[in-house]
Amino acid sequence: MLSTVRVGRQQRLGLSALVILLASCLLAALSMGAISLSPLAVLAGTASELQETVFAEIRSPRVVLAAAVGSVLGIAGAALQGLFRNPLADPTLIGVSSGAALGAVAMIVLGEATALPAALTPYAIPLAAIGGAVAVTLGLFAFSQRYGQFSIVTILLVGIAINALCTVGIGIFQFLSDDRQLRTLVFWMMGSFGRAQWPLVAPALALMTLGVLWLGKQARDLDLLQLGEIQAQHLGVEVQRLKRYVVFGSAIAVGAAVALSGMIGFVGLVVPHLVRLLLSSTHRLVVPGAALLGASLMVLADLVARTIIVPAELPVSLVTSAIGAPFFLWLIARMRPA
Amino acid sequence: MKRWLQLSLLFMVCAASQAVHARECPEAPPGIDARRIAVAGGSITEVIYLLGESQRLVAADRTSNYPAEARALPSIGYVRALSAEGVLSVEPTLVLGEHDMGPPEVMAQLRQTRVPVIAFPERFTAAGVVDKVRCVADLLALDSARTAAAVVALQDEARLLAQVVPDPAVKVAVLLGLREGAPIAAGRETSGDGLLAMAGLNNLFAEFSGWKPVSMEAMALAAPDVLVVPERGLAQAGGIDALLAHPALRLTPAARQRRVVAMDGMRMLGFGPRTLGAAAELARQVGTLEEPPVAR
Repeated sequence: MLSTVRVGRQQRLGLSALVILLASCLLAALSMGAISLSPLAVLAGTASELQETVFAEIRSPRVVLAAAVGSVLGIAGAALQGLFRNPLADPTLIGVSSGAALGAVAMIVLGEATALPAALTPYAIPLAAIGGAVAVTLGLFAFSQRYGQFSIVTILLVGIAINALCTVGIGIFQFLSDDRQLRTLVFWMMGSFGRAQWPLVAPALALMTLGVLWLGKQARDLDLLQLGEIQAQHLGVEVQRLKRYVVFGSAIAVGAAVALSGMIGFVGLVVPHLVRLLLSSTHRLVVPGAALLGASLMVLADLVARTIIVPAELPVSLVTSAIGAPFFLWLIARMRPA
Repeated sequence: MKRWLQLSLLFMVCAASQAVHARECPEAPPGIDARRIAVAGGSITEVIYLLGESQRLVAADRTSNYPAEARALPSIGYVRALSAEGVLSVEPTLVLGEHDMGPPEVMAQLRQTRVPVIAFPERFTAAGVVDKVRCVADLLALDSARTAAAVVALQDEARLLAQVVPDPAVKVAVLLGLREGAPIAAGRETSGDGLLAMAGLNNLFAEFSGWKPVSMEAMALAAPDVLVVPERGLAQAGGIDALLAHPALRLTPAARQRRVVAMDGMRMLGFGPRTLGAAAELARQVGTLEEPPVAR
């Protein structure tokens, strides 16, 4: 029986290797950048004031955010692929990312008219994005309650419909926006970690950590689910509850991620597959592995984005998509017609 | 109605003449060191070149493409998508930019370092251009003859524009080009609108704000007599013949009489020092300005 399959020694080694990879990526990302500085010098207090500010207030929150978003997208991708038993599932599929984007875009265009207190302004767009993600999640929930059960097909179809609705909404706001808002909106949608600041990163980090831990706990049940819903039910998995946990856990974590960094494609899709290729397809490994590898790859992608054309930088989603899109095509080419 | 018009005109003239004397500058902290400047905004780069202080420039953004030498400066990316570390890596002692430099979070990050960041407000008027030059000269603590001459020359151009005789009968549209087949026109609160106002022209599309695509029928209904297009937009549309053959424009009076004014985009819409000349040129072409150009 699958539940008794032990996580092999080799695979535990694999996970340790991923931890080491993440640690080295973090170290590299903290040490490299447009401004040359050494983290050791900062810790020893021998760095200049500018270097200290750059390290503590600009580079560190950025690297931490990239790692958190990467792990969220990776783990949500792994969990959703497991839940849908579909290798092409990813966090954008359930509509949460586009819901978050719609919330943010609405705030960019309408925010000035709402006359928020100045202290709230930096939080306005992330909060609106989380609001959008929560609205989509509640929509999914309402549908699932109404039709008695939370069928995978329903979630998929509702996700597609929500994506379409959000795209329309974003289009409407694009049309309503003035020149300046339009440009803000376009750059927001492209995704970047350059906007990371501790007062914003810290609360989002809490949400994302919760989501990652929550999804990590579902790994064993996801393994059993691969046998089929009925079989999993017989093996003691509360399938309906599992579905809700995975969908809402992903929604909250991805909502927080999109709120701060914008839309970043392909990580949620590609990273779980990489872990399957590298380690094993057991969810007890894929789920934590995707979190670790997602974080490492996102930190690296951001490092490339911000160092390749110094003093300017590339949108990070260009880097992730440049790697992700060819992989996606390869994946489709490998799929056999049913 | 007519009295209102006269009153508002009078008010505008007063405001314009006053602005020539008292400049409105963005707030700046005392003791600015302007030896190494990073610029995010093409019009400000132009101003610094005009003042002959380009040796202070250590980096500029992607909209800084005039004069041609400015393109050789290290690029800090697009004015709205700057990177804090990238900007700091050129070791500026001062960051100057347009009102829309950003994103705001990156501006906040820059403010945490002690590098002063100064954004110039968006003002689509001749006085705004003159003020921009004088404010930059103030920030750089310039008082050379060259600075004075540059400011005087600009003030002359602004004075010339004040002689424009507005002609509300000419129907003019400023088009950015054709995007996905539809012409993108300047509405209210755009640089295009400001350009037309300086040339004494009413904006045909003042009913909307920002740059918006205009449908074929709306364009046919609006029936512009003159089209103002940046050169790059014209080139992208495939030249003047291709632009005028576009279904949305083919039936307009402008197309029939081939009345298209094409100028360098940054010159006419950038609201740097060259924009005053562009407005005067446009005014001469449509007949709202009779005077010959000022002798320098």
